[in-house]
Amino acid sequence: MNPFSYIVVNVVEILLRVVPLPCRAGLVKIGNPERHSPVFLTCNYHLTVERVKRALKGVDCYLLVANSRGINVWCAAADGHFTNHDVISVLKTSGIEELVDHRNVIMPQLAATGVEAKIIHKKSGWKTIWGPVYAKDIPLFIQNNLKKTPEIREVEFPLTQRIELAASWAFPISIFLALIIIPFWPEAIFPIILMIWGLSFLIFMSFPLYSRWLSSEGKRIGLIFFDFGRGGFQLILWCLLIIGIIAYSHLFVEFSWGFIFRWGFISFIVVLVLSLDLMGSTPVYHSGLHEDRLLKVILDEKKCRGAGFCEQVCPRNCYGVDSNRHMAAMPKTERCVQCGACIVQCPFNALYFKNPKGEIILPDTIRKFKLNLLGKRLREK
Amino acid sequence: MSTYILMKILESAPSRYDRGIRILTLGRLDKVYDRLTSHIKSGERVLDIGCGTGALSLRAAQKGAKVKGIDVNSQMLEITQKRAMEANLTQNMELCEMGVAELGSDESESYDAVMSGLCFSELTEDELAYSLKELRRILKPGGLLLIADEVRPKRILKKMVNWLIRFPLVIITYLITQTTTKAVKELPKKIEESGFLIESVTLNRMGNFIELVTKRPEK
Repeated sequence: MNPFSYIVVNVVEILLRVVPLPCRAGLVKIGNPERHSPVFLTCNYHLTVERVKRALKGVDCYLLVANSRGINVWCAAADGHFTNHDVISVLKTSGIEELVDHRNVIMPQLAATGVEAKIIHKKSGWKTIWGPVYAKDIPLFIQNNLKKTPEIREVEFPLTQRIELAASWAFPISIFLALIIIPFWPEAIFPIILMIWGLSFLIFMSFPLYSRWLSSEGKRIGLIFFDFGRGGFQLILWCLLIIGIIAYSHLFVEFSWGFIFRWGFISFIVVLVLSLDLMGSTPVYHSGLHEDRLLKVILDEKKCRGAGFCEQVCPRNCYGVDSNRHMAAMPKTERCVQCGACIVQCPFNALYFKNPKGEIILPDTIRKFKLNLLGKRLREK
Repeated sequence: MSTYILMKILESAPSRYDRGIRILTLGRLDKVYDRLTSHIKSGERVLDIGCGTGALSLRAAQKGAKVKGIDVNSQMLEITQKRAMEANLTQNMELCEMGVAELGSDESESYDAVMSGLCFSELTEDELAYSLKELRRILKPGGLLLIADEVRPKRILKKMVNWLIRFPLVIITYLITQTTTKAVKELPKKIEESGFLIESVTLNRMGNFIELVTKRPEK
């Protein structure tokens, strides 16, 4: 793909980020691979595949694209759209087994929450090597002889990703609201769209300024304002908007309560839609929406033998392994996003989730029902 | 908020699968499945690939066949298991969580018939080619491969009408079940190329849904 179409693809697909965009699953040859060349695996979300291909430019290798129903690796793995079966399937049906002599597949680290290295090995004979979180780090990973530094294991929320997220929220929301408003109030469409994009970028651009106050504990102000302990941010943002609206109505149009009321209401909806699950829409916090899902990862020290799979797959670098004592430890539990990858991959079942009621969720439950079904399973019990 | 809504919908997907698929196929599926399973006889060993919530498996088991149902979705299998228990058919049914790519462990020439209801349209091209090869291997000579699936209409006009009708249905179905099917291109041709004999082809009026009775040649 030439740089121009690559940019176009990126822009269009970032705007449509909330919709699955599948591409053809199967085998992709990159460069001139030979029988010992590395085999990489990714999902069939089109944008991901294009980015991985770009990162692999100049490397002679095979890329396997598994069917994740057009959803990105992390989301698909966490909600059961990218499973052991999809990985085994692409290993068996793509013809890769006839092309290489080895049986090592480099998997995206974020797939670890839904794909089990142990089962893949048992059923297909292929050994999983957990690759970096981001495709851009693949060259570094290859340079390091397929070893990962803590930096390339970690999920971040840098400026580029925040821009992507802001645009990918603003676009569908503005289309949706515009369609609703067209029949009633067509002249308001432009200001509303401007407001949505402005707020969306404001919220995500300024993220580092306020993120330290974010907390999923102690949300008490009704259902709506809770990401900020006591829900300040949205209220502050909304109040600022109201002041802005009043000022605008005084300065530029004739002051009327109707104007303030209408725009106050609309801005309220926009703030709400954009920030209700603010934490859950970032990759660095877990959602604050479900109190019953504020799970804690518990380490059973009797079972742990310090294999270190948890350290390899944790996207938040919560773990450390003491090689003398053969024991893992979680010195940074507060960073956990509850992705469950460590629990799923632990060969000794030494890790499990505990919910706020003190109930234990066993590793096999998570392996079977994936993360997003936990709520349902808990309710049923 | 949007992630919250998505999550809520996703949570209950398998239990809504049946309803979603009925919408997508406009309710015609039951009759199709009845016709397909009319080829199954008592005592036969039958494999149901992508058995889902057990629509075909249960019908075949009801007729006295020994059915093995495979699916990649463990929750759908749980629903099938529950239904089998309610219908007192568990002794005739074996359910396995596995995909078509894992059929390599099944013995050659061990099934009298293989059924596939809306399974091929969920497979990738590679998976379809691989599974047809494997199905030919595990079927006994003369064994039947019974298929009901969505296909792409051949005529341009039908293609357009089909798209117009399907588009809203696909969206509704996707919202309810997060499942969608991708109509298979030239299915009968692919099946013949994999070494099956086509016994009968039934296309619906729109030309977008196919019922196929095919056979592994005797020799």
